[in-house]
Amino acid sequence: MKKRLPAAILLLLVLGGVVALRLSRYDYAFQDRDATMAPSTARHWTGTDELGRDRTVRVAAALLIDLTGATVAAAVTTTMAASFGLLAAFSPRWVAAILMFLSDAFLSLPWLFLLMMVRSVLPLTASPLQTAVTTFLVLAALGWPACARAIYRGALVLRSADWMIQGHACGLKTRQLMRLHLVPHLRPLFLPQFLICIPAFIMAEANLGALGLGVAEPMPSWGAMLLELDNSALLARSHWVYLPIALLVAVLLLLESFTTEVETHA
Amino acid sequence: MTIVARAGRTLLLMLFASAGTILLVRFAPGFFSDSREMDAKYATAARSEMQAQNQHQVKSWLHGDLGQSRQYNVPVVQLLGARARVSAWLLAQGIFLGWLLAACTALPVSRLPQGGLLWGAPFTLLLSIPTAAMATACILSDAGGPVLVLSLLIAARDFKFLRSMLHRAWRSPHLLQGRAQGLPAGALLRTHILPNVTPQLCALSTLSIVTALGALVPIEVIFTVPGLGQLAWSAVMNRDLPVLVAVSLLMACVVGFAGMLSTRTVTLEAA
Repeated sequence: MKKRLPAAILLLLVLGGVVALRLSRYDYAFQDRDATMAPSTARHWTGTDELGRDRTVRVAAALLIDLTGATVAAAVTTTMAASFGLLAAFSPRWVAAILMFLSDAFLSLPWLFLLMMVRSVLPLTASPLQTAVTTFLVLAALGWPACARAIYRGALVLRSADWMIQGHACGLKTRQLMRLHLVPHLRPLFLPQFLICIPAFIMAEANLGALGLGVAEPMPSWGAMLLELDNSALLARSHWVYLPIALLVAVLLLLESFTTEVETHA
Repeated sequence: MTIVARAGRTLLLMLFASAGTILLVRFAPGFFSDSREMDAKYATAARSEMQAQNQHQVKSWLHGDLGQSRQYNVPVVQLLGARARVSAWLLAQGIFLGWLLAACTALPVSRLPQGGLLWGAPFTLLLSIPTAAMATACILSDAGGPVLVLSLLIAARDFKFLRSMLHRAWRSPHLLQGRAQGLPAGALLRTHILPNVTPQLCALSTLSIVTALGALVPIEVIFTVPGLGQLAWSAVMNRDLPVLVAVSLLMACVVGFAGMLSTRTVTLEAA
């Protein structure tokens, strides 16, 4: 029950986002030049930004874009981490040492610096969609080392389990053992790793976006929407400016609570 | 692992990080390239000019200047020196206050049989707020500064670990016996708990350094603190890759060195 409540609220938020995008007359990039920095009106329920873009639509789009991007990036990261971890656990010691050294090298640099470096070497002419895809791919490509270490440790313990030794003795190949026995046993480890990555990636995107290095305009994202808080004229006109950050904190709290429950039950 | 082996591993990590960053820079679009290369008439001259620039870059690295900043047109080492002091002071204050806050909250909460979740709620909430948003909120409310944001972030990250670490320690059988015999909590903490949790605390301090370094960029940019984070951000915005490489390597050195120290401390404690 505890696990279902945050998941249900998250699902409702996503459905709300889809409905808001479907029902709205406006596109997230449409600029209503007659209603710039407008407060809440019948046309724009939560007002508009400094370019006259509907905030409800932009917040809904940001929610869906960030959740989708972070989920896909988390899936890619977990797959990469699982591959690295399992490969290291079932390889000769020198291969495992090289792979774990590689993960240490990635871990030795703070995330944001690595992200900034990789983002800075990308072409300046990239389209908003390309920047969104790139940002989340970069997050996925840099997020695997910690997960890989956890999976490697888990796989090492299972490698010397009695049933694994028996499986080997019965003539099962390593690939068969992995597919039939090891991966199902490691699933309780994969799921929390995957779930932990989603809020971490959303948070990283928000921080990158707030520095102007995330998803490019006019595509909405949490990070880009946080920049609105710097506009004092906008803040004075409407309290709806705080909607993106409030929703972001709510989503992160729900994800955190869901992850904790899954971890506890795993 | 011996000190030599650990130091060697850290050195190898740094070499790997430097090779990675240099490769990244070498293949960055627009870097080490010239529009004149497109024109066959000027291509040869442009290439030889770029080659001279590259050689100058390598020479200045060997000389210890760490290259020339593209935006400020000064040696990178000159930029790093002044800014490293600002960032180091900010990090020291933030980490110290963060640890103090986390320890002062975790110590009494870890002794409570229940209600840990409730006491941890403010820290969970803090963890759900992006650093950039926290810094912006401080500016909007005209309260607090970079040290407060950094210390809140560190406290939020470390509270959970400290609480569970201390919670386990308070419930260990020898401490239960000590408490049953009426030993004061301060004495138990000093003589039994702290010596036992010191290795974990050292490992946690490395994590704090990594967290603080990651938070340095948004904090320094939003509060306009002239430190390494702001320098790295401006280098990214202006594609000043020599500066970015130098800052990233410096960060890798700090994290590598902190990791090495914490592992060494754990080994000494275990011995």
